[in-house]
Amino acid sequence: MKTEIVAMLLAGGQGSRLKSLTYNIAKPAIPFGGKYRIIDFPLSNCMNSEIRTVGVLTQYQPHVLHNYIGLGTPWDLDRRNGGVTMLTPYAAMGGIKWYDGTANAIYQNINYLMEHDPEYVIILSGDHIYKMDYGMMLQFHKEQQADATISVIEVPWEETNRFGIMNTNENMQITEFVEKPKDAKSNLASMGVYIFQWQKLKDYLIMDNENEDSSHDFGHDIIPLMLGKGEKLVAYPYKGYWKDVGTVDSLWEANMDLLDPESGLNLHDPAWRIFSSNPQLPPQVITETGFIQESFINEGCVIEGEVMKSVVFQDVHIKEGAAVRESVVMSSVVIGNGVKLSRVIVPPSFNVPDNFELENSGSEIVLLTDEIIEKWKGSGEHAFDGNR
Amino acid sequence: MRLMAIVDASVRMPGLEELTMYRTAASIPFGGRYRLIDFTLSNVVNSGINSVGIFPTNPFVSLLDHVGMGKSWDLDRRKDGLFLLPPTHKNGGHLTVGAFAPLEEHRSFFLKSRQEHIVITNSFTVSQIKYHKMLDAHIKSGADITEAVSGDRSLKSYIISRKLLLELLDVYKEKRIISVEDLVNLKKKPYTYGRFEYEGYLAVIDSVQSYFNESLALLDVSRWNDLFLHECPIYTKVKDEPPTRYLKGSLVKRALLANGGTIEGTVTESIIGRAVEIRKNAKVDHCIIMQKCVIGEGCDLSYVIADKDVHIEPGVILHGTKENPVVLRKGERVLKEDVG
Repeated sequence: MKTEIVAMLLAGGQGSRLKSLTYNIAKPAIPFGGKYRIIDFPLSNCMNSEIRTVGVLTQYQPHVLHNYIGLGTPWDLDRRNGGVTMLTPYAAMGGIKWYDGTANAIYQNINYLMEHDPEYVIILSGDHIYKMDYGMMLQFHKEQQADATISVIEVPWEETNRFGIMNTNENMQITEFVEKPKDAKSNLASMGVYIFQWQKLKDYLIMDNENEDSSHDFGHDIIPLMLGKGEKLVAYPYKGYWKDVGTVDSLWEANMDLLDPESGLNLHDPAWRIFSSNPQLPPQVITETGFIQESFINEGCVIEGEVMKSVVFQDVHIKEGAAVRESVVMSSVVIGNGVKLSRVIVPPSFNVPDNFELENSGSEIVLLTDEIIEKWKGSGEHAFDGNR
Repeated sequence: MRLMAIVDASVRMPGLEELTMYRTAASIPFGGRYRLIDFTLSNVVNSGINSVGIFPTNPFVSLLDHVGMGKSWDLDRRKDGLFLLPPTHKNGGHLTVGAFAPLEEHRSFFLKSRQEHIVITNSFTVSQIKYHKMLDAHIKSGADITEAVSGDRSLKSYIISRKLLLELLDVYKEKRIISVEDLVNLKKKPYTYGRFEYEGYLAVIDSVQSYFNESLALLDVSRWNDLFLHECPIYTKVKDEPPTRYLKGSLVKRALLANGGTIEGTVTESIIGRAVEIRKNAKVDHCIIMQKCVIGEGCDLSYVIADKDVHIEPGVILHGTKENPVVLRKGERVLKEDVG
């Protein structure tokens, strides 16, 4: 059977605003939600949308991501035909080709797409938290007989300057695309999810590649070029939860959204499961002294202290007398006796020494680091405000 | 590895009948997210064994569904791996471990095997035994058959050479012995018998009472630490359940919880399986609640074992005792008027 649609998942992002969390791993590999990694969301969306051919484009620190995705088994992508293919920059005649812009990354893998020769290509990015049925978007694309469909979400007007904004007519046809406008005419932001007719996309990728002035980016170059040539571009309005977790604050916020039944981010929906690689760990144990309120706790944890409004990953030990509030505690962390943490992200395998206190009262979330611990030790082990 | 394993999952446990209506004893849920056979299979793979034959009895659909091709235990191999060897006729359901009649039906399995020694074990003892260490002791002692023991308790696991097992399959009827366990208990001549002393976590699940007690014993963190060793993980069929969520108003003390649950009520001294919902103002004390159960608003349960998919409607009050826990069968719906 001919492949109808191939997904190209852009997973090369460094995500430098996430600080030490991305020293060794690409942004899509960042842990989220107590057991997942960000890339589980687009991959699970593909699986749930019955997209069976997925190319994952990696570039920055790909090791963890490659290891994690493996043969794609957790997402049912270990297939004889299609399945998941890791697409890294490679050397060819004429030199090594690092991905230079999103469109260039796809252009460099034009052979992969030609091999599958699909009707449609869906471009996804690996750094957003959302549950979306790409099948419905494809249907919309077909109904509209569009050349390209861009999924959009309404963002608060005051944040329009952070996004690529679409101006559309009443039929959702895109009339104008403005990257990070100062004075936006609409609040429909691009989610970075595009569906193209493959044959058309191929022509534009080749055209764009030949243009030396291009930055080879979908938002900056391909979309304006297509608009300029009078192609039919439509906006697909998406209504669900969507979050770009590009900063420590937004990563924390998205985790906190899990705890809020009103946020629209429900991971307990059996009809749209998020799949992930599952570690083999025992059930969590809550002792006599343990106390948990409004939290997410994963397998393998031993909870002897207090956990409130927090997300706790697998294999975490929270010792007696510790109190963790409004925080994200990543896997294999040990939180010592009497530790007090609030509004903090604790990176994986971190050892928080006994009696350490960081009750963050500032507006910004603190990412715990060895330097903070050293500074605290140097200060005579008094309570420490990370914002000072 | 010179050792292969036989897991006798056909042993009938008359004391466990309430939990084995639809499944073998081997597939009884245990410890929130496991089945009893997981502990045996994990010991097998953690001992470096990669050829395993499971001898199940009816009804084995749930066991088959759980074990599959052995992928979760890394036993889906091109060479060796996991074999399910069901009885072809009424040869299942013995009371002792390693019954010769069902083994004889799969004689060719033993003929084809390449390993020199066989460990014959069961799925109702929960331990962290290392069969390769047991094999070392077996070879060193020169005994024909070695039995694993812990003090005066037998783990009902035996190491025997493949050659001797094949011999026994020829003569067991004549010698009037029905199983390997039987042979060891009778100490039949001319064979010699050795013992391998095991120290470590041990639970024998042979009745609802021992099931209940041994389950709740896991709430002791030191005991939990003895069974769940970082270097020797217990493997099970993985499920894509999200982390357990604790909602406003929940209160949990001394409890073991698997993933996927939603806890809004009070849970004390209990074991909660995967994807269980405990609704507002419900109280669950000294209970074992298996996978996908729903405990309705305002329920008050103590000393209850709820098998999979039990739905307890709001307001139900149900109290068993330590000696006599109430067992709710798989899929049961419990209404307020039912319990009066």
